Amino acid sequence: MKKTKTKNSRALKRRKKFFKGLRHFLLIPVLVCVLLYGFIFTATMPFMSDIFSIGSMFLQNEDANYSRSYENIFTPSDNTGDTVNADDVDYPSIDKQFGTLKIENRGVDAKLFFGDGSVALRNGVGVYAGSFIPGYGKTILISGHNNTYFNGLKNVKKGDIVKIRTSYGNYEYRINNTRIAKADDKSTYDLNAEEENLIMYTCYPFDELGLTEQRFFVYGEKISGPAIVGIYE
Amino acid sequence: MKKLSAVTVALFLVIISCFSGYAAGINAAEQSVLSNMRTPANMNGHKVYVPAAYINQAEAHFNTIDMTQQQADTINGIISQGRAFLEGTGKSNIKDLTSSQKQTLLSYASKAANVLKLTAVAGSDENRIKIITKDGTVIVDESNNIIKTTGYSSLLTPVLAGSALFIALVCASAGLIILKKRELVYEKN
Repeated sequence: MKKTKTKNSRALKRRKKFFKGLRHFLLIPVLVCVLLYGFIFTATMPFMSDIFSIGSMFLQNEDANYSRSYENIFTPSDNTGDTVNADDVDYPSIDKQFGTLKIENRGVDAKLFFGDGSVALRNGVGVYAGSFIPGYGKTILISGHNNTYFNGLKNVKKGDIVKIRTSYGNYEYRINNTRIAKADDKSTYDLNAEEENLIMYTCYPFDELGLTEQRFFVYGEKISGPAIVGIYE
Repeated sequence: MKKLSAVTVALFLVIISCFSGYAAGINAAEQSVLSNMRTPANMNGHKVYVPAAYINQAEAHFNTIDMTQQQADTINGIISQGRAFLEGTGKSNIKDLTSSQKQTLLSYASKAANVLKLTAVAGSDENRIKIITKDGTVIVDESNNIIKTTGYSSLLTPVLAGSALFIALVCASAGLIILKKRELVYEKN
């Protein structure tokens, strides 16, 4: 009887020791680690993107562009005529700011870039490189973040005027439709279109952080601005 | 002497940067390449076209360069070889190609890009192609996603990290409470 009691007491002590060990060597270190991480994370949050950028340089196989800097080839023009010669158009390359986009009283006022990569969308809105620049007479597909430069798209109404300014001319498009569709819905754009049409889109719902399946599309027709002539020699 | 070299280099850079913009325009050579790109490949009776996004990006780039007829002829030859290769695979579309066939197809794109002193590389996934200039400037970065993710923001990272932190804290605290209770139970026993 006494032997059994001693055995039980030893087992009890072992269990107590085990739980104490678990607490001291696992849970408390994890808790401290998490708290420390949280503290460091909060303290370094303003520089986080730069830290991730530097870290990614060592981890990624391919080169990535995390630069916040960009080249600006936009100089305001007063050309609102009917045409502009192709020779007078400085065709932008990717990540260059070549204009501005504004919808008055709707909270949209952004720098316009060529290309819709991270540099463009961090600093403004971007024309998809597989579409065309204003005046080219084809599809202009522009994207922007829903929580920054294109948040104001939620306020737009049919008939609103989109003003695009470039170094070679100033353009106006009238919004004629809006649509909510899935991101992979290919009927939302036509890159083969032979008439100038403006498509702007952003993630939907607005103000939602994170990855969303849907996009909010805004369609516009050209009402003024110089057509680029003499493109095909 | 050093100062003179520095001034010369600076002047050279200024001159280069002044001419970094090109007038838009597609010459006859460039038009012939675009036209060839628009010609479909006949894969097992199915007409397969180069996606409009690729052709448009080529056109955008051609607006920033002046291709010679000789370059165009070489590129057109490579495009025709690539089309013949596709037609000879016996497959009905690009998706059905094996990995090595896709690599061969990429090698044609790479050869064509090399003519213009560009490099074509496959991206992180097989469906992604990047074309970069000698100095590393990306002129084409094409994936199947024409419509981009425009809801992902820099704010998301702290939100995700914060949520993970909160969950970890709750789990750790719950674990501590359970252990403490069990210890108390054993102590009582």
